[in-house]
Amino acid sequence: MATAREWVGIQKFPLATQTALLEILGTLKEKEMDSLTVLVMGKGGVGKSSTVNSIIGERAVAVSTFQSDVPRPVMVSRERSGFTLNIIDTPGIVEGGYINDQALELIKRFLLNKTIDVLLYVDRLDSYRVDNLDKQIVKVITESFGKEIWRKGVVVLTHAQLTPPDCLSYEDFFARRSDAILKVIDSGAGAGVGAPFRKREVLGHAIPVALVENSTRCNKNDGEEKILPNGTSWIPSIVKTIAEVATNESKSILVDQKLIDGPNANERGKMFIPLILAFQYFFVVKRVQSWIKDDIAKAPKSSWE
Amino acid sequence: MEWDSAIPCCHSRQAARIAGKTKGEEKGQVDNPCNGQGGVGKSSTVNSIIGERVVTTSAFQSEAPRPTMVSRERSGFTLNIIDTPGFVEAGYINDQALEIIKRFLLNKTIDVLLYVDRLDAYRVDTLDLQVVKAITKSFGQEIWRRAIVVFTHAQLSPPDCLTYDEFLAKRSESLLKVVHNGARFKKQDIQNISIPVGLVENSGRCKKNENDEKILPNGTAWIPSIVETITKVALAETKGIVVDQKLIDGPDPNDKWKLFIPLILAFQVFFVAQPILRAIKNDVDKEVKPSWA
Repeated sequence: MATAREWVGIQKFPLATQTALLEILGTLKEKEMDSLTVLVMGKGGVGKSSTVNSIIGERAVAVSTFQSDVPRPVMVSRERSGFTLNIIDTPGIVEGGYINDQALELIKRFLLNKTIDVLLYVDRLDSYRVDNLDKQIVKVITESFGKEIWRKGVVVLTHAQLTPPDCLSYEDFFARRSDAILKVIDSGAGAGVGAPFRKREVLGHAIPVALVENSTRCNKNDGEEKILPNGTSWIPSIVKTIAEVATNESKSILVDQKLIDGPNANERGKMFIPLILAFQYFFVVKRVQSWIKDDIAKAPKSSWE
Repeated sequence: MEWDSAIPCCHSRQAARIAGKTKGEEKGQVDNPCNGQGGVGKSSTVNSIIGERVVTTSAFQSEAPRPTMVSRERSGFTLNIIDTPGFVEAGYINDQALEIIKRFLLNKTIDVLLYVDRLDAYRVDTLDLQVVKAITKSFGQEIWRRAIVVFTHAQLSPPDCLTYDEFLAKRSESLLKVVHNGARFKKQDIQNISIPVGLVENSGRCKKNENDEKILPNGTAWIPSIVETITKVALAETKGIVVDQKLIDGPDPNDKWKLFIPLILAFQVFFVAQPILRAIKNDVDKEVKPSWA
């Protein structure tokens, strides 16, 4: 793993943001966390790379409006006062209406032996529809990393500085959009492998939702901090949410070969094999053999024997 | 139905002038179906052009599952706008929706096709290509000579380091490339075809000029602008697309190469069957007959 560079981007933030961020880092170190690994995933073109750049404070990942720019996952590491922040930017796993299996493979291989503390699931605030494709994305993430990853998940909605459609307030729109996405996560994550015997846990609605506005036209407050339409400064806000999720009770996800390969179909029900074998021997084979013996004994002998 | 003057007076005068021009050319109606993905603003655009809330729009759910035709009349001129359900849902072409649209359009003549998409979408992908291909397959390549690409959410702040015009140019270019690709235009035809682009901002927060007209970031009042583009396309030399049963059913594969059947049959009889028959006869003659035959 490359050594982390000094987090110089922090100094470019306005003072209020810097103070807030350093405070958050402080609380993390108190809880004995000196590093944090964040995985950023989502469809193509929603603003994953822009969000990474905004949080890091520099143009660490290339961003291009019209092309999908990240062909492979990239980890950006920054260090500050003994704390290392690792953010992994990934290619969109959906391009053109289909799950991009190749991108998914690249991501899985990149993550081998890394531990994911937080998953940022990124989508646009200003999309109006949630459909089967979103459900597929959630399913694929669940299948690749296990249901538990959603306990470390944060839903990130970009383009947060939006004018909502007529007759909906910003709060209403935000509430409905979040609800739609969280419902999809519920159904996609719940319908994981081996679900039928377990009760469907409602994971989705415990997941926090963060708002992000990466454009330079983002409104600013008097302290020159970028703010959301409701006045919150969003960079410290999202970092705080990330920190909270990282230090919650659930364990971080270690991506080992077993997790990547997925449940081995050959392992399933393996215990039953000797039992079934025993059953077959005693109750089927033996019985048929005794029947054959009886038939031979009962058969009339022909004259030339 | 009367074309309501909920539209500000300037706009309706402009529309009446256009209607007059159209009437002079002896076209009584203009039919425009709007096609595109779900959630892009087709119904909102129809409502804006008509000037009333004729089609229900809902931010979060898919719209009505069947096409609706809205007709408005003004000074002897009738405008029919056909709003269609988005036939892409969840990454796939919704064939059922497409069938319903085709059946609805039976025996109607399409003068203008409005292909609607969002200006503020950044990626153009195979899904868009599929939509274009589906439209081309259903109505024929010629429909694109009567098409207008309509971008909604036109009142957008472009991403950093791109001006509005640059962004618009690139977005149009990517989408038009997809249209050329999906409609399978040959290279020489592409020069002749220029599909106009219309910009639309349906939100109530759309900026207005002194005459209270809704305007785009470049200052143009967009409602008359798009109606004018529609009229221009409708008056084009190419004929409107008549949606007849033949068009809907598509090319009949049984008709393909039908002419060759008798030729192939003749070939087979003379050059294949006859030589074989002769060869069999020869073999039979040459055969050595055994003593008991």
